[in-house]
Amino acid sequence: MTNGASGSGWALAFRLARRELRGGLRGFGVFLACLALGVAAIAAVGTLSTGVLESLRDDGRRILGGDLDLRLVHRAAEPRQLEWLAERAEVSLATDMRAMARAADTESRRILVELRGIDDLYPLYGSVGLYPEQDLGDAIAKRNGLWGAAAEPALLRRLDLQVGDRIRIGDLNYEVRAELRFEPDRAAKVISFGPHIVVSGDSLADTGLVQPGSLIHYHYRLRLPPGTAVEAVRNDINETFPDAGWRVRGPDQAAPGVTRFVERLTLYLTVVGLTALLVGGMGVANAVTSFLEGRIGTIATLKCLGAPGVLIFRTYMAQIMILAGIGVGLGLVLGAAAPQAAAGLLSEMLGWQVSLGVNAQALLTAAAFGLLTAFAFSLWPLSRARQVPGANLFRDVVAPFPAISPRAVPGTMAAIIVAGLVLAGLAIATATDRWLGLYFVLGAIATLGLFRLTGAAIVALARRAPRPKATGLRLALANLHRPGAPTGSVVASLGLGLTVLVAIALVEANLGRQVRDEMPVNAPAFYFIDIQPDQIEDFTALVGANPGMQELKRVPMLRGRIAAINGTPSAELQIPPDIAWVFRGDRGLTWSAQPPEDAKIVEGQWWPPDYKGAPLVSLDAGVGRHMGIGPGDRMTINILGRDIEVEIANLRVIDWSGLGMNFVMVFSPGLLESAPQTYIATVRAEASAEDAIERAVTDRFANVTAIRVKEVLAMVTELLGHIAIALRAAGSIALVAGILVLAGAVAASRRRRIYDAVVLKVLGARRALVARAFMAEYGLLGAVTAIIAAVMGSLTGYLILTEVMNLPFVFLPLPVLATALGGVAITMAFGFAGTWRALGQKAAPLLRNK
Amino acid sequence: MIELADVQLTLPSAAGAVHILRGLDLRVGAGELVSVLGPSGSGKSSMMMIIAGLERATAGRVAVAGQDFADMDEDDLAQFRRETLGIVFQDFHLVPTMTAVENVAIPLELSGRADAEARAAESLEAVGLGHRLSHYPGQLSGGEQQRAALARALAGQPKLILADEPTGNLDGDTGAQVIDLLFKLCAERGSTLVLITHDINLARRCARSVRLRDGLVLDDTANGALAARVAE
Repeated sequence: MTNGASGSGWALAFRLARRELRGGLRGFGVFLACLALGVAAIAAVGTLSTGVLESLRDDGRRILGGDLDLRLVHRAAEPRQLEWLAERAEVSLATDMRAMARAADTESRRILVELRGIDDLYPLYGSVGLYPEQDLGDAIAKRNGLWGAAAEPALLRRLDLQVGDRIRIGDLNYEVRAELRFEPDRAAKVISFGPHIVVSGDSLADTGLVQPGSLIHYHYRLRLPPGTAVEAVRNDINETFPDAGWRVRGPDQAAPGVTRFVERLTLYLTVVGLTALLVGGMGVANAVTSFLEGRIGTIATLKCLGAPGVLIFRTYMAQIMILAGIGVGLGLVLGAAAPQAAAGLLSEMLGWQVSLGVNAQALLTAAAFGLLTAFAFSLWPLSRARQVPGANLFRDVVAPFPAISPRAVPGTMAAIIVAGLVLAGLAIATATDRWLGLYFVLGAIATLGLFRLTGAAIVALARRAPRPKATGLRLALANLHRPGAPTGSVVASLGLGLTVLVAIALVEANLGRQVRDEMPVNAPAFYFIDIQPDQIEDFTALVGANPGMQELKRVPMLRGRIAAINGTPSAELQIPPDIAWVFRGDRGLTWSAQPPEDAKIVEGQWWPPDYKGAPLVSLDAGVGRHMGIGPGDRMTINILGRDIEVEIANLRVIDWSGLGMNFVMVFSPGLLESAPQTYIATVRAEASAEDAIERAVTDRFANVTAIRVKEVLAMVTELLGHIAIALRAAGSIALVAGILVLAGAVAASRRRRIYDAVVLKVLGARRALVARAFMAEYGLLGAVTAIIAAVMGSLTGYLILTEVMNLPFVFLPLPVLATALGGVAITMAFGFAGTWRALGQKAAPLLRNK
Repeated sequence: MIELADVQLTLPSAAGAVHILRGLDLRVGAGELVSVLGPSGSGKSSMMMIIAGLERATAGRVAVAGQDFADMDEDDLAQFRRETLGIVFQDFHLVPTMTAVENVAIPLELSGRADAEARAAESLEAVGLGHRLSHYPGQLSGGEQQRAALARALAGQPKLILADEPTGNLDGDTGAQVIDLLFKLCAERGSTLVLITHDINLARRCARSVRLRDGLVLDDTANGALAARVAE
């Protein structure tokens, strides 16, 4: 009685697979770990990134501080504009500026702070966290002739102040009434140059800080009536006040800097996760081969009982995919759980509540990557399994795992290519930057191919190399090329992991070098901002009087934004991402009769010193090149709400790395001279004179803010340090995957090694000789792999720095060498650990069994 | 049932081609019980592999149960094995992760039989293992394992049984019991049996014995004459 069903169908394959799986997961440790690690990394990155971005979106109003945020620089909105806005929404004003704060006594140190003046409506959404808890309005109100302030604990610590003490900002003393523990809209501000302090907006006038041209940001936050379409109001505002010069942001752009950063980081971390998975894929292939080698007897039995090759393939494919499902499941659990653990830390770092739920899309994507990887990397060994002859059962010898049949090669290769293309397509489609995703895929294929070729070359060379006299070396060479040697797996798995680490080490070292080594040499000690025109001569004299002063440079500065180029509004221009920042908002502008020192004019001419004609501008050559504009082209610049059309006179190369004063746009004298402006000055001074200069200036000019370059650099270095730790941690995932594969490959050949060691000992070889042979083998493998990884990693690092980060690349041998040597050490350690047991084996039991 | 005509098997090796079968001729009729004797390397196992369609002859004609192997691809041969053939090995070769009944059911399942497990249980009953259906090979004694393998070989009621030293790994008494069972079941079902053995007494129980040496049939005799030839 037959049911007519095929004896090789998937149902039977799954039944047989289920029965076989009763054997447990032994031998699948590396397989499961590799898949789980890669999937966990991708799932965690996806969950984190989506969570952060979704929280940002969901909480956009609170982070933005309103349904819409209208920002003006230098000047407040006009009464007619405010009236118009007040008819449509509740309007709250937050006034942000940088200032110097100190304790009330004159000897106190000065601290650069981010000062915010608020009105009674602040915050429109969310609430401010104060300690001791109290109403914000009460905390900052004027009591007994003294305004109150809420200051960040860090500021109080640095000034050695307590709640109840007085703090001086500008010309005004405030009473610190609370610690500022939480600001709902803090995340919208990407960079803080100092601790935050919140005061009443009404008090600002008495500080003396609000001067014409001072760098003050006026944020008008709108709370719209329920049901109002935000986009419609935004359009209405833009249409009604096209020349207002304010930047209008909605909740979807609450923190664009954070969004950009998260997207970039996501891309990077996903790439690392994919690399881990790719490395893990080799672990999968090794584990599947090893598993199938152990199943030769069962496969031969099934063949003898009449199982066709296709059933063998399906049965073991089903098993592998079931196991892959377990590995992927483990990875998903880890990948979903890990971000939850990090949520608290993230919320603290970002300043808003990041809610990280289970993200189905991130998990599905990670699962798809895991299953596809397992599938693609299992195909080759599974096709080999089809070839196991049933005749093995009639032979006494231990039959090797057969090679793939030549007839099966085209079909198997086609299937692998299709699976690989789907994987690559998924990688590119899910990347936040498609081009970078494509580059990663191409780079990964090239690197993987290179390491595979290297492995094959090592085997070929070892086979053809002249036999060394030293027995240990001879054995090592023989071990490299004998059948079943893990040479290829070790080279490829460790190689990819090391390549990633070398690249990261180089990127890190280059970033560090940029900050530490290059900039400070020429960097000024201070930037002094907001110097009023009537203060500049006194300021110059005051600073010049200090004997430690080495150099003072000063320029007038005002701010404006590029409104149009050759009549085309900025919003309609195709702006390359590299220079998008120039168009993103207000930029500092200056004017000058003379070209800046060290200016390199590459196109056009500088105007004559006594030029009095129509306004001209000198533009950064990079911006000119990217936008395809040059001398003769026209730009419209909006300055203080007024559009001014200027002609480009020349393009100028700017060296931004010096940290000196540089301006994308320098105007000819005349037009801007009469506009409200301030001065900005840089001062280089002996380190011992820095405190005195800062004190003298801020005592004399309460409205002038001193920015210590060293402190900013320290802050940037600290930030880079945090990023570097995150990058290194992520990069380590790829290396851990590599080590897992390495360990798996070594373990797979352990039985053979034990036998070798025993035979060698029986023949009279000392343990030291056998150990030396193993060490030489892995040392050689590690060294060759490390050299190739150093080259590929350096190339990757170069591409990341120059193409992605747009930074100069300097080859730094030390981090490369350290990483490469670490790789050799890891290979030798694992190789040796894997064979250590072999050295301790007793000969008799093993030989009896053979 | 079996027709081997001028069968040659040559395998490549690093030291040059190895001629395993050098023009072997053998005919076995349906229902015959034939033992195959010969020293190691004489070609016994290779001949069995060729009869089972597990090895392709380099030259010569191979036809079993009316099917000429020359016209058959690997899948045809696999189908031939599950429909026509039962094999009993010296090392039992039960799948360790499957129970006795699941092991026996494999060839039936491969044939697409819906009643595979029920038939497998019957087959195990027939070899006296009705009480061991859900035991794994590791939980069975050597004799029981070989009986389970016997049940598996016979479950599909094959026309031809190939047995390769079926008692080689069993003690004397257990081996005898297994052989008794094998002969009994073959007789009951009218199956043809080709039995490789080194045991002359066991060979004598077959109606006909074939002796191989160096890949050729040295002699092919009826049971009575065998003892005399061996004595010589």
